[in-house]
Amino acid sequence: MSKFIKAFLLAFIAFPFAANAVTVASWGGAYTESQIKAYKDTYSNPDIIQFENYNGGLGEVRAQVESGNVAWDLVDVLPDQAITGCDEGLFEDISGEYGNFIAADNGDGLVADMAANGVTNLSDCCGPQIFWTYVVFYDPDAFPGEKPSKIADFFDVEKFPGKRGVHTWANGFIQMAMVADGIAPNAVYKVLKSQTGAVDRAFAKMDEIKDHIVHWSAGAKPLELVKSGEVIMSIAYNGRVGAAVLSEGENFEYIWEGQLLEQEYLCLMTGAPDRENALDFLIHSTSPASQAEQAKYITYGPMRASGIDIIKAGEPWFHTGIDVMPHMPNTPERLKISVMGDPEWWADNGAEIDERYAAWMGN
Amino acid sequence: MEVTISATNEILTTDGIPLKVSLKKAERKNKIRAFLLVFPLLLFIIVTFVVPIGDMLLRSVDDSQINTVFPKTFEEYKKWDRQDLPPEEVYKSIFFELAEGEGIQIGKALTRMNYSKSGWKSLIKKTKRKIKKIVKSGDLPTSYKDTMIEIHKGWGDPSFWVSMSQMTDERTLIYYWNAIDRTYDIDGNVIMQDEKRRMYIKTWIRTLKVSVYVTFFCLILGFPVAHLLANLPLRYSNLLMIFVLLPFWTSLLVRTTAWIVMLQQKGVINGVLVWLGIINDDQRIQMVYNMTGTIIAMTQILLPFMILPLYSVMKVIPKSHMRAAQNLGAKPVKAFIRVYLPQTVPGMSAGGLLVFVLAIGYFITPELVGGKDGQLIGHWIAYHLKTTLNWGLCSAIGSILLAVMLVLYWLYNKIVGIDNIKLG
Repeated sequence: MSKFIKAFLLAFIAFPFAANAVTVASWGGAYTESQIKAYKDTYSNPDIIQFENYNGGLGEVRAQVESGNVAWDLVDVLPDQAITGCDEGLFEDISGEYGNFIAADNGDGLVADMAANGVTNLSDCCGPQIFWTYVVFYDPDAFPGEKPSKIADFFDVEKFPGKRGVHTWANGFIQMAMVADGIAPNAVYKVLKSQTGAVDRAFAKMDEIKDHIVHWSAGAKPLELVKSGEVIMSIAYNGRVGAAVLSEGENFEYIWEGQLLEQEYLCLMTGAPDRENALDFLIHSTSPASQAEQAKYITYGPMRASGIDIIKAGEPWFHTGIDVMPHMPNTPERLKISVMGDPEWWADNGAEIDERYAAWMGN
Repeated sequence: MEVTISATNEILTTDGIPLKVSLKKAERKNKIRAFLLVFPLLLFIIVTFVVPIGDMLLRSVDDSQINTVFPKTFEEYKKWDRQDLPPEEVYKSIFFELAEGEGIQIGKALTRMNYSKSGWKSLIKKTKRKIKKIVKSGDLPTSYKDTMIEIHKGWGDPSFWVSMSQMTDERTLIYYWNAIDRTYDIDGNVIMQDEKRRMYIKTWIRTLKVSVYVTFFCLILGFPVAHLLANLPLRYSNLLMIFVLLPFWTSLLVRTTAWIVMLQQKGVINGVLVWLGIINDDQRIQMVYNMTGTIIAMTQILLPFMILPLYSVMKVIPKSHMRAAQNLGAKPVKAFIRVYLPQTVPGMSAGGLLVFVLAIGYFITPELVGGKDGQLIGHWIAYHLKTTLNWGLCSAIGSILLAVMLVLYWLYNKIVGIDNIKLG
């Protein structure tokens, strides 16, 4: 009995101090599951990697760095937070190491490989992960006649009456409103930067469906909303919709037009307890092969252009033996009708717009 | 002990020490022992309670970091007459402070500057790169003002310079003003925030409103339950107690999600109403993803915090009091109001205060069922803590919350009396 208690206590005490482990903080759920399978399980020394869940944001990161008590090595963050974290010195500048990152088969290094995919604002402190998007989806069975096909349909309650699911923050929805209002997807940020009334214009468009919105805040919610018929279409994270279709056999359709492509980064904490191994793991997980491998388990697109090539050549690529490209957000033809996120602009203006959005929502 | 009386009339113990001293010594020992016993607790309270609250209060007025990064600029800025654009000296100071400043310190400063005006962040980052190049080339400009405006037209935009007036003091109240939709103009006068962004006051009022509603409904619903619990035979009251405690022990998330299933438009309640023909299929009521949902879910979740103190107070009210009142001629209603109700005040107060305090800072439930107008102030604390890193504003909101609580406590003490609170 006492032996059991001892072992039990030891396990408790020993756990937080597991020697030489690289701790990766990520979002949890199917996303982290895909990271574990694609990065950790393919790594030469998987036992030293451990994943931990967190709720996003830089709050904990800053608290750890400021107190000098850094517990994480790598953190999975949104692009605007990669920028802010890098500016504030919460993440270490590793741009000098980019040359050591694994090159694509065509010889392109990390930076060139990213540029080939349209990403020119790579954060200095981080390695690229995936593209994820805010995309509109619906259940085709809910539309016996004509089905919505353009983002303007999402904003047209006369043509398609019914509630719409929208999240409780502004990013994604604003850009869609602008595209629905007639701005070309690739010009959205140009307009936001150059025209003073651009945001007003977006809000005016959003007003048109204001009374027909159900606001969600948790990523799993939009799927339930659409499935239960609570709303007829909803904005969602594309990976959630892809997982529902590919793994659970749901029947959903996307409206790719106006989707907002956002980046995701894995950043090295300043003062990471196991910096050397963490950097090595970061290099491994940003290799084209690892990036492609991840798409076997979740429908987020590799940020490295060469990752896409591997997937295309290997179809059917999804682990259940289904083609994954139909669900990938960043195929060339979809990129033409997508808004490419501009994290720098969002890092500048996000707070103001979120406050305005909250005021708009509650009125 | 054996006591002798010495020549100087002092009472001595057997070892010759005056009794007074000896007693004092023994007492001091006891005192130290008592202190050592509570010391861990004291330390715990200081570390986990006093220090964090103090830190929060300090952060809510602290603006010193940015003043260490741009001291010269702010000094020159204060001399400016606030007309048109600042003079050449201001541009020159910020030019060199950007060129020579330490990267991370500037990075932190510009995150803070962006709170006062969106756009500072990229303005400075873009300028800094170019300034470094100029300084490296050694070809210093003749007019720093023209050069900087040439690098980025933002330097010629007066609104950036207006916003700088919010940062020049090491101790500032700007975060408190921001937390109630106000800001400083260029002369440091307090003005209303841009109309489209005003939402903090609304959120404060909404938070108070929801907390009052939740407390009220908890009281209305909890009182009869507690009364039943206290007066039923043990056999039944134990079973009933399990019904109160079971949800109390169930995960918050599960209960919140269950409410969504019940309340949504294609949910259980609407389904039953439609089935009974009370409402038409196209008249389904929106009961969740708005304030109604927040109030319903929070009431159910916080109900045990009302029932349990009420129960423990009601349990000790002798049944004979009601009987005596009725014997003396009071009708049941009057006996209840005059005799029973006053004795339950300590329980109502304890439960009410407990529910209200918990409700005012609630986060998860409003976040999930709040939707368009059911999010409370806790949402903005989390938002600024995690997303914008505006910990000053975060602390200011937290401090206001603390102040509201203290004011309520003071009011309560005035009206009901704090001795009149009882958890059992």
